[in-house]
Amino acid sequence: MPDVYIVLGINLIVWAGIFGYLVSLHSKISKLKSKIDERLSQK
Amino acid sequence: MHNSFTIFLKDIRQELRSKAALNSILLFAIVTLTAISFSIGSFALNTDILAAMLWIIILFSALSGFSHVFLKEEESRTADTLKLIASPNDIFWGKLLFNLVLLLLVLFIIVPLFIAVFNFDVKNPGMFIITIALGAIGLSAGGTIVAAIIAKASSRGALFSVLAFPILLPVIILGITITRIAFKKTEIVLFIPEIQALAAYCVIVVTAAALLFEYIWND
Amino acid sequence: MNSKLINYSWQFGLFILLSLVIIGTYFYAPLAKGLGEYTRVMYFHVPAAWVTVVAFFMGAFYSFMYLRKRDLLFDFYAEAASQLGIIFCILATITGALWAKESWGAYWNWDPRQTSIFILLLIYGAYFSLRSAIEQNETKARLSAVYSLLAFITVPFFIFIIPRIYESLHPDPLVNTEGKLKMNAKMLTVFLSSLGGFTIVFFWLMHLKKTFIQLSIKLQKLTDQEN
Repeated sequence: MPDVYIVLGINLIVWAGIFGYLVSLHSKISKLKSKIDERLSQK
Repeated sequence: MHNSFTIFLKDIRQELRSKAALNSILLFAIVTLTAISFSIGSFALNTDILAAMLWIIILFSALSGFSHVFLKEEESRTADTLKLIASPNDIFWGKLLFNLVLLLLVLFIIVPLFIAVFNFDVKNPGMFIITIALGAIGLSAGGTIVAAIIAKASSRGALFSVLAFPILLPVIILGITITRIAFKKTEIVLFIPEIQALAAYCVIVVTAAALLFEYIWND
Repeated sequence: MNSKLINYSWQFGLFILLSLVIIGTYFYAPLAKGLGEYTRVMYFHVPAAWVTVVAFFMGAFYSFMYLRKRDLLFDFYAEAASQLGIIFCILATITGALWAKESWGAYWNWDPRQTSIFILLLIYGAYFSLRSAIEQNETKARLSAVYSLLAFITVPFFIFIIPRIYESLHPDPLVNTEGKLKMNAKMLTVFLSSLGGFTIVFFWLMHLKKTFIQLSIKLQKLTDQEN
């Protein structure tokens, strides 16, 4: 396998890790926000 | 300073009565030494490997002895009394001194024994002794503060080694490096950069531990 | 609405910057002698390691703030910074190990840098195991803050002294012992942009973590009010 593909693979691991974490954080935050809105609207 | 010496004397007197810490740390060191000596048999070992083994023995004996020092106050419920009569600073210095004396006592027995068992000459005894002494200071400073953390945490035992290991690792790595040099070369220059680094480590960790101890001790 | 637009515009800028870094990594920066294609690993492996150190620094900073102010919020921030730190630490370790396999022939060989990053992993591991061992919130915050600061002062010994004591196989273009830069201008441009980009990404993640913490506290308060 050409070296550049291995480098690309390593690169992808880094970006996938960061991007995955970013997305999961975003979804967690929006879940929390909707929960808070729910609580507020109940009042 | 006077108070911390009183606490130190109290611990020494208690230790002379029970000999719990001294026995455990000394026997641990001897058992490890025997285990290594047994498994190696009569092979002559490279001094590089011997230096590493010596420091491993020192590290684990120190770890086995230090965890008791605050735990015994918490267990016998004397911690609160101690809190009333002495400032955190005094307690820290007293306990540190006790740990240091304990470790030095054990090293005083175990290091000559190690050299005798493995039958080799230390080419530069001055450098070797300085390293061991500095290492003992570094190990007892780091060990004392981590022992204080452990005594306040609810779970005990295994966590002590886990927490202490990364903090004490610079002592071990620097100690092994200098000991290798001391075993092999008779250098005239005594204060090589590694010794300076080890001394710097001791100063920094002792200072930081003294400053941080207050936050652990006062709930 | 307006602030939201500003919010998105800087994210767009970051996106452009990081895209340029990726393009620069593969098409703009020349390869270093002796490293071949593996020069390119530098543009994201080193920033990941750098961010680990930044996160560690932030964790120690928030721990310090907790001990001064005794506000549990700072403890949550310290925990968040450490969580981000451990993620970047794992990323740097994995990419480093893969790179080492290709260029040195083994995934792991206790090179000083590998030792340093491994010790950082150990410290994070110890930090989180200490946190999980204590149940009461204030005690947890206090003890883990002390431990984090204690680890923080020993880390310079690993990062600066130990690599200098042992001989390293590591290509060391940024801060080597002679203090010389071995990179040319093109490489340096891509490298520094990548470093900057990663740092911004870290602070973005940190900001999201903080938002998350504040929202959880808010939710907790709302639940408490109802009960």
